Amino acid sequence: MYQYNAQDKQFLVERVDQFEKQLKRHLAGELDESKFRSLRLRNGLYMELHAHMLRIAIPYGILSSDQLRALADVADKYDRGFGHFTTRQNIQFNWIQLPEIANLLRDLTDAGLHAIQTSGKATRNITADPLSGLTEGEIEDARPYCELIRRWFNLHPEFSWLPGKFKIAINGAKLDETALRIHDLGLRLVRNEKGELGFSVFVGGGLGAAAMIGPETASFVPIVDILSYLESSLRIYNLKGRRDHQKKLRIKFLVRELGASEFSRLVDEDWQQTKDDPELKLNLTELESLKKDFALPIEPINLDGFKETVDFNYSIWKKNNVRSHKVLGHSIVNISLTKLGAAPGDATSEQMRILAKLADQFSSGEIRTTKRQTIVFPFVRKDQVFDLWKSLEQYGLSSPHQGTLAQIVACPGRDYCDLAKAVSIPIATRVQERFNDMNKLLDIGDLNINISGCENSCAHHHVTDIGLLGMQKNGEEYYQITLAGETLRETHIGKKLGPSVSGETIVDAVENIVNVYIDNRQQEEKFTDVFKRIGIIPFKEKVYG
Amino acid sequence: MDDIKNPTSLINKDYETIDLVTFEEWIEDSDKLSKLGVGVILEPSNDVGLIKDKLDSIELIALDFRNFDDGRGYSQAYLLSKRWQFKGEIIGINAHLDQLQFMIRSGITRYQLLESYEGFDEEDYSNGFSICYQAAANNSGLNLKY
Repeated sequence: MYQYNAQDKQFLVERVDQFEKQLKRHLAGELDESKFRSLRLRNGLYMELHAHMLRIAIPYGILSSDQLRALADVADKYDRGFGHFTTRQNIQFNWIQLPEIANLLRDLTDAGLHAIQTSGKATRNITADPLSGLTEGEIEDARPYCELIRRWFNLHPEFSWLPGKFKIAINGAKLDETALRIHDLGLRLVRNEKGELGFSVFVGGGLGAAAMIGPETASFVPIVDILSYLESSLRIYNLKGRRDHQKKLRIKFLVRELGASEFSRLVDEDWQQTKDDPELKLNLTELESLKKDFALPIEPINLDGFKETVDFNYSIWKKNNVRSHKVLGHSIVNISLTKLGAAPGDATSEQMRILAKLADQFSSGEIRTTKRQTIVFPFVRKDQVFDLWKSLEQYGLSSPHQGTLAQIVACPGRDYCDLAKAVSIPIATRVQERFNDMNKLLDIGDLNINISGCENSCAHHHVTDIGLLGMQKNGEEYYQITLAGETLRETHIGKKLGPSVSGETIVDAVENIVNVYIDNRQQEEKFTDVFKRIGIIPFKEKVYG
Repeated sequence: MDDIKNPTSLINKDYETIDLVTFEEWIEDSDKLSKLGVGVILEPSNDVGLIKDKLDSIELIALDFRNFDDGRGYSQAYLLSKRWQFKGEIIGINAHLDQLQFMIRSGITRYQLLESYEGFDEEDYSNGFSICYQAAANNSGLNLKY
């Protein structure tokens, strides 16, 4: 798999050295809080309720087993023995002490891990489909492009002080696991009528208080020209984006105010001046070299004589957690970290080490993280899936929740985050307690619940089957419900159900919604399809009636 | 508080004093001013595209970086330096130590740090990295990887 070379690692060390100097100046009173804030965020560091939170990038969601061990070591040495996998392919540590930051980051450089631009008003970690390269029908593996674009915008001199944060996702598959149209900028790999590869570009999507789906600003940008097109998009945003209003900093507000066609025209006008600049062409030699680095480490295996073990619990787990692989004789295995009462996405250092060991044994030493805060083993031989499951059972990691309602996505919420208006994890726990019967979960099937503790929407509640948004009303916690959002097949923002519901009764409301779904679905109909067919009224009547 | 400067003149590289006019003054009367050998001082909100036609008659351009989080100056510097090939000096005024590397690579040819940064090692912050991952207006002294 792709690894940083010595030159890249040297860069990471230099970045830590620089940040350490800035930190020392801040602690000595020589760098004021507002400037230090701006600098620390660009190094992934937040001041949270109880301690500092550090966000480490997992570029395009891929970790080697050694990198996961390095993260486990950080969890033990600098945190309280656990980390939190986020919805954007990062991992966060919540209990970091300020003076230890530089040592922590230095410990990670050798594993090629860093926190550069995981926050702040700059281009963030670029996300990709966690199944990139693994499934049939893919247009192209997005990961080499992610890496080239990530590099290009790494401490970019012109675009490191943008009006707001800037999130990019790239998808090369038919289904959109990246949710690219709710990103500031989404790239979809496409082929034109001549069969040439390029990108469709979508700009100005985003969640938050004003959720928007990004319109298409270019239907086909040849791959070799993508850097100059991205630069032009960022230049228009940098020069014209709102900086006067805290709540209108994101590019979606600029695109909305100008109109998508005018924004697109301005970008194009700028781009015409740079697209032929040889320095801005994508480096195709490097692209080919990266394609080799990202090549799958497995060969097809014929397992004709193989007989799957018969075991009831195994078969339930397998049905929910295992997917077919494009390489003969292999499977993709999803591992849920969800445990009752624990924050979704939380993993202890012990679990990280176990997963690293199992990845070495069963998955060519590679682990991927997903926006549903789960772990994927991408390269498991079909005749070893049962053995992997047995090992996962032994370590309590064989939750068969993947794709069921119990696999809830939740942000840290008011228990950990000082932006949050309401708790998230305790609500997730109560929903899981309500639906703790596996037969019932299997009957309900593929149904997603996402819970955000505030309008920042870290848990993507707008684009899921049942979304809950935490808020305060007269000092009490309430939850607004949105239904039938989606991003996988097409992008829709969920519809608000009605008045927000108190924390006390929110789980009843969720159960009522699930029941309306079950009572009305025909065969294997998905939640969003039922919602489209019967409309919002039956759900309203059941919840508020 | 930072000691923000609002200079009315700057010394150029030949140690001559060059009077500065504001962007608005230049737009208002560029025909006359272009004969006087003045410099223009730009704020981040000024549309730099509006001065590009008479760049040859501007002696130097000062870009104001007083607001730490306002990154428009970097795009202004890029456009002046790389796209329109401005031949005079592009001077970053009210500059912050921690942003020198970004200013220099965007095309700023000289800078004036805010007084509060006096005594710090500028070298450390103006060229802090051995490698750069993108082409920019100025890549000198760095190993390229892109």
